[in-house]
Amino acid sequence: MIRTIIIDDELHAREELEYLISETHKFEIVDRCENGIEALKSIHKHRPDIIFLDIQMPVISGIELVGMIDDDCTPRVVFVTAYDDYALKAIEENAFDYLLKPVDKKRLEKCVARLEKDLSQKQLPAYHIPKINRIPCHCGRRIKLIDPKEIEYAFTDVAGVHIVTREKELFTGVTLKTIEQKTDLFRCHKQYLINLMQIDEIILLENGAAEVISKSDKRIPISRRYLKPLKEKLLL
Amino acid sequence: MNLILILLQQMSVFLVIAYVFSKSPAFYALAGRKQQFQHKIIVYVTFTTFSILGTYFGLPIKDAIANTRAIGAVLGGIFGGPWLGLAIGFTSGLHRYTLGGFTDLACGVSTTVDGLIGGVVHLYILRNGGRDQLFNPLAAFVAALSTEVIQMILILTIAKPFHEALELVKVIAAPMILANAAGSALFMSILRDKKNMVDRFQAIFSGQALKLVEKITGPLVNGFNQETAKEISTIIQEETGVGAVAITDHNTILAFVGMGNDHHVPGGVIESELTKQAINENRVIYADGIDVPYSCGVSRTCPLGSVLVIPLRAGKEVIGTIKLYEPKKKLFLTLNKTLGEGIANLLSNQLLLIRFEEQKNLLTRSELQLIHAQINPHFLFNALNTIIATTRKNNTLARDLLLNLSNFFRKNLKRSQEFSTIAEEMDHVKSYLEIEKARFAERLIVEEHVDPNCLSFKIPSFTLQPIIENAIKHGTSNILEPGVIKLTIQQTDNRIVIEVEDNAGAYQFNGKETGLGMNIVDKRIKNKFGESFGIKIQCEPDLFTKVMITFPLEGQLNQEW
Repeated sequence: MIRTIIIDDELHAREELEYLISETHKFEIVDRCENGIEALKSIHKHRPDIIFLDIQMPVISGIELVGMIDDDCTPRVVFVTAYDDYALKAIEENAFDYLLKPVDKKRLEKCVARLEKDLSQKQLPAYHIPKINRIPCHCGRRIKLIDPKEIEYAFTDVAGVHIVTREKELFTGVTLKTIEQKTDLFRCHKQYLINLMQIDEIILLENGAAEVISKSDKRIPISRRYLKPLKEKLLL
Repeated sequence: MNLILILLQQMSVFLVIAYVFSKSPAFYALAGRKQQFQHKIIVYVTFTTFSILGTYFGLPIKDAIANTRAIGAVLGGIFGGPWLGLAIGFTSGLHRYTLGGFTDLACGVSTTVDGLIGGVVHLYILRNGGRDQLFNPLAAFVAALSTEVIQMILILTIAKPFHEALELVKVIAAPMILANAAGSALFMSILRDKKNMVDRFQAIFSGQALKLVEKITGPLVNGFNQETAKEISTIIQEETGVGAVAITDHNTILAFVGMGNDHHVPGGVIESELTKQAINENRVIYADGIDVPYSCGVSRTCPLGSVLVIPLRAGKEVIGTIKLYEPKKKLFLTLNKTLGEGIANLLSNQLLLIRFEEQKNLLTRSELQLIHAQINPHFLFNALNTIIATTRKNNTLARDLLLNLSNFFRKNLKRSQEFSTIAEEMDHVKSYLEIEKARFAERLIVEEHVDPNCLSFKIPSFTLQPIIENAIKHGTSNILEPGVIKLTIQQTDNRIVIEVEDNAGAYQFNGKETGLGMNIVDKRIKNKFGESFGIKIQCEPDLFTKVMITFPLEGQLNQEW
């Protein structure tokens, strides 16, 4: 069974697609999500083979979402959309396929056939997605989109991935690895990424490691392993 | 032989007077097309004077006077018609009679007949050639010739004793016939030349005005803004040669061309009280710098000394002014004043036409946009998708939604009317909202507060739905929590106020998200009702966006539209 997640902000659209997909008897629907934030978490958690993704969604569009998925678990993406215009763009972005709403059964069947063939080749899809412009973060019940430029540093721990700006600290579903790949933040520690523009001072420590003091006086560790690359990057 | 020379000499003086007359305003009474009563008086007085002068410039011979009196009478008759000719001839003839001499009666009668003959010629010419031919020197020659011949005959028949009359006639006949005929012809020729000059002048003036007008309407096609105003001002200034030309709209100077353009700058706010007055009172204001003072409000060294401010209208509303300036010590030509007013009128017509076209286009664009919005695949296909899903679970709901969809399309394709009642607009919006509510389920909440008294009021068609659609598109579907849209329609002091508020606060005035639709609706309202109505938008980011549309209440009750 092909493991899949359905992502669409409209209840009826989700139900309709679920119905059609169930009829093919080829899929296991592991989750249903109604926005990009939920979807990101869910994809990282369930690692589906394929996602059916609506493009027009609130706050984070389907296309943006694809760029935020950790490339460890990139699923195949089938865009589902009411309007043609976006479909073309989607294909350019290397989506696996696209479906137009209302979804035609035969069209879906064709898509499934291709999918089965592709999965049998056991290759992970590789999408070329450019840098992320905004990182969706949550703080309590509110969702904020943070511009990477405003991030002082990011780190990961048991609780998840933390984003620290001048004023606040928030959580995000985007993995540290993805942030490292898709933004200008620099890896300075196994668990830390740092924004080079926000460095105020670097203090060298005795054990060969170092510490960064950010412009807002926060302290960020630099491990031995990453000190040299950091220095090189800063042309020291 | 001598006599002819002397008569010709007298006649030369006469002709000089004719020349001077042709330059006087009294001449326009002849040259003009209108023949009102006052013109008739002028003709009477003028030609009677000429005729009497002819007597005084005469040469006494054998107790008679050889003279050029006939010229005045005949020409007076030619210009004025039989009655005037008769009056002129009679007056002058009477005067001659009072001077005495044995030909007094003969001459008196003869002059009267002269006038009459001139009048007959007048009628003949009008019937066969038209007004212009009145100035034909040949007609004058022939008329004068015949009158002199008749005069000689009259002298022979009336003056006593006969042999003395015969003697007289032998001497004066030839000279007088020739002198009067030639004199009339020459007189007429002078007048004709002057008339041709006037005609040509008028033709040139009209030609110039038409040319000017043609040149101006070109730029206007591109609208009424700083650029086109500059083009128009330049054209006017070049063609008329006035010192400077300016065009303003309601509160700023759109263009300024000519002297003083260093400190009268386009884009600047209107400083001049005269201009503001012209706009407010909707009348032409002329400050000649002498009786009505004018001084530049901006610079002390401004060379301009007088100004003509002409309001520009689009229909009834004053939308700006055209100003013509002359430098100090130069007089405003009446020509340019008239031209200026004519141009303003023409531009006003053009602007009205442009507004009309714009309005038509806006309406078309608005309709097209709306149709696109429906056939807007997003709306349509999402709606169909929702309905398809619903058929599986809830047939009744699916049916209702399809009916709503059909109602929505039906209303939309009915594009014939410019105005709809609020009730009709609400019906339209309802069909739309039923579908969107089904689509978004609990994520969309709509609150309506509509004053039922407002339902019959008329507003431009397709005003409401685009705004609601915007609220949903840019507002509600951009947030994760449920979207709340509040629609309020009510009347408050002389206005109808429609408010659409969403709880997303995502509306960006500057971005591309501004929504062409909103702008179009706003423009349509302002075009129709004026600048103080239309669309206003308030936005508190992340909190709310409120769109407010206002219409005037007046005119609703008598259903002006």
